[in-house]
Amino acid sequence: MPEQAQRRAFEAQAQEKPTDNNHAYEELRHLIVAPEQEGIASIQDRLDNLEKRTEDVSVVVAEAIQMRRAKGDDLALAAALAPTIQETLRESVRRDPHVLADALFPVMGPAIRKSIAETLRGMLESFNEALEHSLSWRGMKWRIEAFRTGKPFAEIVMMHSLLYRVEQVFLIHRETGLVLNHVVAPSAPAQDADMVAGLLSAIQQFARDSFQSGTTENLGNMTFDELQIRVVSGPNAVIAAAIRGHAPEAYNLAMNETLEDIQRHYSSALAHFTGDPGPFRAAEPQIARLLETQYREKPPEMRRPRAAMIAGAIAALLVLGWAGYSTYLLIEWSRFLSAMRNQPGIVVVSHTRDGRTVHIQGFRDPLSEDPRKLISQAGLDPEQADLQFAPYYSLDDAIVARRATVLLHPPAGVKLTAKDGELIPEGSAPQNWITQLEEKAPWIAGINRLDESHLQNSNLQELNALKNNLESTTLLFPLGRAELEAGQETNLAQAEHSIRDLVAQATPLRQSVTVELVGHTDITGVEASNLPLSRQRADQIRAALLRNGIKSATLLPRGVGTSQPLRDDGTEEGRRLNRSVTFKITLSPLLAAETAGAAPAN
Amino acid sequence: MLQKKVCMLGSFSVGKSSLLRRFVENMFDEQYHTSIGVKVDKKVVNVSGKDLALVLWDIYGEDAFQKMRMSYLRGMHGYVLVVDGTRRQTLDDALALNERVVSEIGKVPALLALNKFDLSDQWEIEQARETQLTAAGWTIAHTSAKTGDAVEKAFLHLAQLMLAP
Repeated sequence: MPEQAQRRAFEAQAQEKPTDNNHAYEELRHLIVAPEQEGIASIQDRLDNLEKRTEDVSVVVAEAIQMRRAKGDDLALAAALAPTIQETLRESVRRDPHVLADALFPVMGPAIRKSIAETLRGMLESFNEALEHSLSWRGMKWRIEAFRTGKPFAEIVMMHSLLYRVEQVFLIHRETGLVLNHVVAPSAPAQDADMVAGLLSAIQQFARDSFQSGTTENLGNMTFDELQIRVVSGPNAVIAAAIRGHAPEAYNLAMNETLEDIQRHYSSALAHFTGDPGPFRAAEPQIARLLETQYREKPPEMRRPRAAMIAGAIAALLVLGWAGYSTYLLIEWSRFLSAMRNQPGIVVVSHTRDGRTVHIQGFRDPLSEDPRKLISQAGLDPEQADLQFAPYYSLDDAIVARRATVLLHPPAGVKLTAKDGELIPEGSAPQNWITQLEEKAPWIAGINRLDESHLQNSNLQELNALKNNLESTTLLFPLGRAELEAGQETNLAQAEHSIRDLVAQATPLRQSVTVELVGHTDITGVEASNLPLSRQRADQIRAALLRNGIKSATLLPRGVGTSQPLRDDGTEEGRRLNRSVTFKITLSPLLAAETAGAAPAN
Repeated sequence: MLQKKVCMLGSFSVGKSSLLRRFVENMFDEQYHTSIGVKVDKKVVNVSGKDLALVLWDIYGEDAFQKMRMSYLRGMHGYVLVVDGTRRQTLDDALALNERVVSEIGKVPALLALNKFDLSDQWEIEQARETQLTAAGWTIAHTSAKTGDAVEKAFLHLAQLMLAP
């Protein structure tokens, strides 16, 4: 240090000449040291003067902190500052909590939400897991949707489970309760926003005052039946949403975010609001998003009209179907009733409808068709019919025929029909039934006459068969003789048998039997002898029959000679057949007197 | 449209609600009065060619049983102090109330409505008192909810006061 050495040298010289040199020394000293001394004094003064010292530090404090942080030793700095900052904050809150609350408002919301979102995510994951195991049809459907859209399954579940609609959103100036902006969902009912907002504010105030809650507290929800009012409040503005249905709590997130955004962007306009909502017109898209978000998140809400339409369509179809079916029934019933009018043995006097039931009054023959069966056959429900039929005797042809059938028991092969009071039996019946028919028919209701032209007497038919059989019998004689040819006895016996049968059958039919025995000859020999010969032959047979006891039939012998040859006389065989006796039967009704009499005379 | 919050203040049964009924579009039931102590109505007025929406808070009159909720007055841009001209006491009460309002809310445009002016034979407020009030800065309107006299004019006047810079 050369300066210090110099100084010491001067000081040593001065001490050598204390008196003379004192003044000069002082002067020299002053010349040399004074500027430094002044500097030192000034520094001393600076150090002693608090105000100046503060001023000095204030210049460098920011840089100093920056430098310290740059050195990477900010932990110590933070440790040093923390107690002071804590104390500062505490003091700030003590003095006026609003300042800090207002300052922190924009950051507090996101911070809290972030933390809540984290918690919720964890919760949703476990919820998700729980749902993973549900294998319901609906669950599967949602799972497919989640897979398709790439959204978490839980979100899809929530989306489908929630049903609500945000109808109106109000942006309200908190202090005055005046509307800054207002949006209404399409087709939602809207009242005067100014009045609603005013009253909402009043209600908020009322609740705040009534329940002595702090001035920063707010009524978050109000619920009226289906309608819910959600309110989120910031320092200067309030967002209120009118929600029909139940919005998830998460909806408040969207409201809060919007409000914070508006608070941030319009802080000055909000603070100096004097009733002009003009500056807040620009906030409309933001609050309108609260309506729109709604639609995006709520497919069930979108589905509601479709569901209503489907329900409406089903209802309309049901109504149409019902109307159609009713009309169909009405038509079917009236068709049935007109068919009933043509039904033999049924007379419909009146019919009325009473709801589903059809009341039918009239008359019915016991032999007519069962009306209930007819209803069933027409494809209608017999349960819907209330039938009141009084019994009567119908003179309808069909019923008369049916009645005659029931009473007369016609044998198989006989069919009874009736027409205009005339009974017409058709077919073949034995005599005794015909007798019964003739006796009973006039007593049957609806029958005035009997037409037997189509009725054959089966007994008479048999009689004719016998007659034909006998008439084809030929009894042969030898040439020029009146005795039967050998071997013809069998034919005679057969003829005799046939006559007996004929008589036996004819008697109950009240027929008399006349048997003509016709004698023939061939053309050989003279005519004068042929005629008597033919008569002899006939007589011969009559005698034989009488001998054998045929009494009940009239046997009339006659000879025709060659006048009625049976065959051509040109051949031997023809001539042989012409030497014969044949039979001709006449049946004639017996007169009462004859019936009463005994066996006929010869 | 510019909006202003206007409160109707005054003692019980001086005719605040009747005055409003003369003037506004109603939406809410009178029941709000008795339940939460306020009813909100609205009226759009035209002041020098510009529409102004007055959102009118009809605040339940004070009486022995119910104190007025000062919190309802927050942020108001103006108020109408309503007095029943046939009852002098209501003027005194109104002025006392006004003092509380000014101390709590601060000075905002106001109008003094001496109501029931149709009952002039029962009038209890002397001309001298009115002069005194006018001198003190009050704008006075003689209104009658019954006849509708001066009601619209009074509100228009208040609107002008609120719009004045």
